[in-house]
Amino acid sequence: MAWLTGLPLAVDLVLGATLLWLAWRALSSPDLFQAVALFIAFGVILGLVWARLDAIDIALAEIPLGAGVTGALLLAALSQLQPAEVDARAAPSATEANEHQAGQPGQTAETADADEAQHKPAVFRALLAAVMGLLLFAALFSLGLVTWQLWEPSSGLTQQVNTHLPESGVEHPVTAVLLNFRGYDTLLEIAVLLLALIGVWSLATASNLGDTTPEPVLAALSRLLAPLMILVAAYLVWVGAHAPGGAFQAGSVLGAAGVLLRLSGWRLPAGAAGWPLRLVLALGVAVFAFIGLAVIGLGEPLLGYPTAWAKHAILVIELAATLSIGAILASLFIGGRP
Amino acid sequence: MSSVLVLALTGAGLTLLGLHALIVKAHLLRKILALNVISSGIFLLLAGLAARTPGGEPDPVPQAMVLTGIVVAVAATALALALLLALRSATGRTRLDDDNGQ
Amino acid sequence: MLPSGAVWTAALVFTPLLAALACFLAPRAANWIGLLAAGLTTLAAATMVPTLMTDGPLRIAVGGWGAPLGIDLYADGLSAVLLLMTAVVGLGVSAFAPAYFGAHPQQRPWFWPLWLILWAALNGLYLSADLFNLYVMLELLGLSAAALTALSGGGPALNAAMRYLLVSLLGSAAYLLGVALLYHAHATVDIALLGARIEPGMLANAALAVMFAGLMLKTALFPFHFWLPPAHAGAPAPVSALLSALVIKGSFYLLLRLWLDLFGDLSRLLPELIGVLGAIAVLWGALQALQQQRLKLMIAYSTVAQVGYLFLAFPLAGGLNGTTAWRAVVYLALAHGLAKAAMFLSAGALLRFAHHDRIADLDRAVHRLPLTLTAFVLAGVSIMGLPPSGGFVGKWLLLEAAFQQDRWGLAVVVLLGGVLAAAYVFKVVGYAFTPTAIAQEGGSVPLSMQWSALLLALGAILLGFAAPLLLPLLEVGAPFEPIVGMPS
Repeated sequence: MAWLTGLPLAVDLVLGATLLWLAWRALSSPDLFQAVALFIAFGVILGLVWARLDAIDIALAEIPLGAGVTGALLLAALSQLQPAEVDARAAPSATEANEHQAGQPGQTAETADADEAQHKPAVFRALLAAVMGLLLFAALFSLGLVTWQLWEPSSGLTQQVNTHLPESGVEHPVTAVLLNFRGYDTLLEIAVLLLALIGVWSLATASNLGDTTPEPVLAALSRLLAPLMILVAAYLVWVGAHAPGGAFQAGSVLGAAGVLLRLSGWRLPAGAAGWPLRLVLALGVAVFAFIGLAVIGLGEPLLGYPTAWAKHAILVIELAATLSIGAILASLFIGGRP
Repeated sequence: MSSVLVLALTGAGLTLLGLHALIVKAHLLRKILALNVISSGIFLLLAGLAARTPGGEPDPVPQAMVLTGIVVAVAATALALALLLALRSATGRTRLDDDNGQ
Repeated sequence: MLPSGAVWTAALVFTPLLAALACFLAPRAANWIGLLAAGLTTLAAATMVPTLMTDGPLRIAVGGWGAPLGIDLYADGLSAVLLLMTAVVGLGVSAFAPAYFGAHPQQRPWFWPLWLILWAALNGLYLSADLFNLYVMLELLGLSAAALTALSGGGPALNAAMRYLLVSLLGSAAYLLGVALLYHAHATVDIALLGARIEPGMLANAALAVMFAGLMLKTALFPFHFWLPPAHAGAPAPVSALLSALVIKGSFYLLLRLWLDLFGDLSRLLPELIGVLGAIAVLWGALQALQQQRLKLMIAYSTVAQVGYLFLAFPLAGGLNGTTAWRAVVYLALAHGLAKAAMFLSAGALLRFAHHDRIADLDRAVHRLPLTLTAFVLAGVSIMGLPPSGGFVGKWLLLEAAFQQDRWGLAVVVLLGGVLAAAYVFKVVGYAFTPTAIAQEGGSVPLSMQWSALLLALGAILLGFAAPLLLPLLEVGAPFEPIVGMPS
């Protein structure tokens, strides 16, 4: 990305302003569908910013996860919030009526969200807005000032990472931090993903998505794309050892492949939807924890893989994590319990 | 170097923009968007400043932290959206009820 | 030679975590897996005590790297007493749960994995010395707590869970902002290293402001308590017990750690402000509790008041004999954990019995559920701060610190809060003796539900006698003294 780094300050100003504008529009546009679309665009631009900052690993995660998966989740939720009443969009009068009909399911035109609480007196609201504006401005000012103070160059932990990189089992610094130096965080982070899925399933809204008959073109295209995406995922895991990439990027591509397959009408075989699926979902945390604990038996500290095996341990962990992350993301999108 | 500052300041701006919307906007989908904007802003501050190394090679530690953060944010968003759908199907509302459940 | 500390620290986090996976894979065996895991985790917490007492505080480098490159775990007396309290309450709630969820079979397979992950997150939080790792723990804690709150379904619970989730996510985002600032200023997220490197100035003040705001939101200190009563009252009874007794202690512990190791010298004004908020919380929460018609809401507002006490130590800590104030509020946190868990479990038993929790219609419950009412009253004794309970020891120490520094205002708040607590506890007891005009039908309540509440309440009383054992444990590693040495 050297060509990007060489560009002048103007590019950064434009990128920064675009991000702020997209975020502001996404948070204030009266139409929720438009808001979500703008938010997805925001994620894509943020991905470009990461590339600009030489954070290719983050860019590779931001675009499929931050923009892709989050966007798909938002759109899926939105499609369930507004059953067939797309025309009721942005009608202020309809929103007024809503205030009196609150609590009646199916009556609300959710697309137009009359946001500010309307039952408080106008003077009170104006005062509140003024105070809050003042506070937020003060906060922005001090945060900006603090950031300014942090401007002088600092190498952070770069030297320590480089010194210990040969012992980590991988050649790419970010992968070394994620899977070895700070592997404990990463183990727990996969647990957070699994936890979110358990939470979603416990709510049992069970609104199975994509149960409509798929478009024939989409179906054919998905069946063609999905194997390709699985290949890309495998490549991303492999490349993560010495270049940007790794389990999270690969897992999100795998999850997207699962979503596509699902949208094309493919279903898990009935026998696989029970404990075999759950096994795949839990595999990432289980394998990571098993290896991390087994090394204690060898006299190593928790999660301290011996240098000679570190490469293989990390590869096994990453493969299991990729499978689990892909399965969890696809299951989160589908929503209801299988 | 100046690019780092511009983008880190953008991160600060995004955080406050999101905070404002989180407080002011009533629709829960909007609040969920606002939380995502807040975390994106913080990530930009955290990993943006990682690029200010003298050698030019960015600090990998904050980058790894942001990767973790992005995954956590996706997980939180998925749970929040599922809660929103459950709330909507139980009550028909897509915003919070202020009466403290009494 | 294997340090035994490595084994019990790993066991404290990974036993509940792996048991959660097992419950997810084999939901039908969830009760047994859960109970087994609760026993083993409690055992791990118990083995920690002699190790810490003989060997002193423990620092473990995960992966062998060591801070600042790797993540360090750290356990001292402060971590230890909170891990123990979590284990005792966790064991009690786990014993209560099978019978409770026997009547709600659709919630049972989800309760266990969510609760075990929450337990792993709490233990991980008390053991971590790394600010970013603590962020991941906070998220694990917040998401599992919000999902548990929603478990009973229905509009009010879902509404409360949604608000709780948003508040929790905002709180951890604010915390993470502080972590980002501190990392870029000092190139580490290890608490001990930061403690040595941090300097007074604008950056430290900004980090202090955002981290404290986020954590006070999560701990529900007045005026950030708005989300707590509906969430703690709307959840299923065993979950209410976990939320009130354990979850808010997690963020309070982190506040305390940050203050003791990083920010304590930065501001003279902030501790006074926090103390005022704590005092308002004590009085306002208790007055609200007194006005509630529903038992679970009353207990939830009582938590708002009890959280207030925990913050009264901040203005006292800088003065003469300030460490007594810290000891006092940690003791209060432990006593509140046991007593409040017992109260919510009693409320769960009463709900099972009467199918409602209207205080005015308790209708001679004391004759029909004597074990449960005994549990409620014993827990109430500790909440009021009467001898010989754990709550009494905590308040006694707090008053001692206040008197030594001539802070009469704080002493009055402590005493007045106790009087108000007595009023709302006796209001319940009074109605429990009174027959209602129309006799209430009562269902049967499994003994395991009644006994787990009673044993926890007895624990809150016994805590008063355990002070000679627990106070020395709390001193391991001198958590309240200024840091002198650096970790090796």
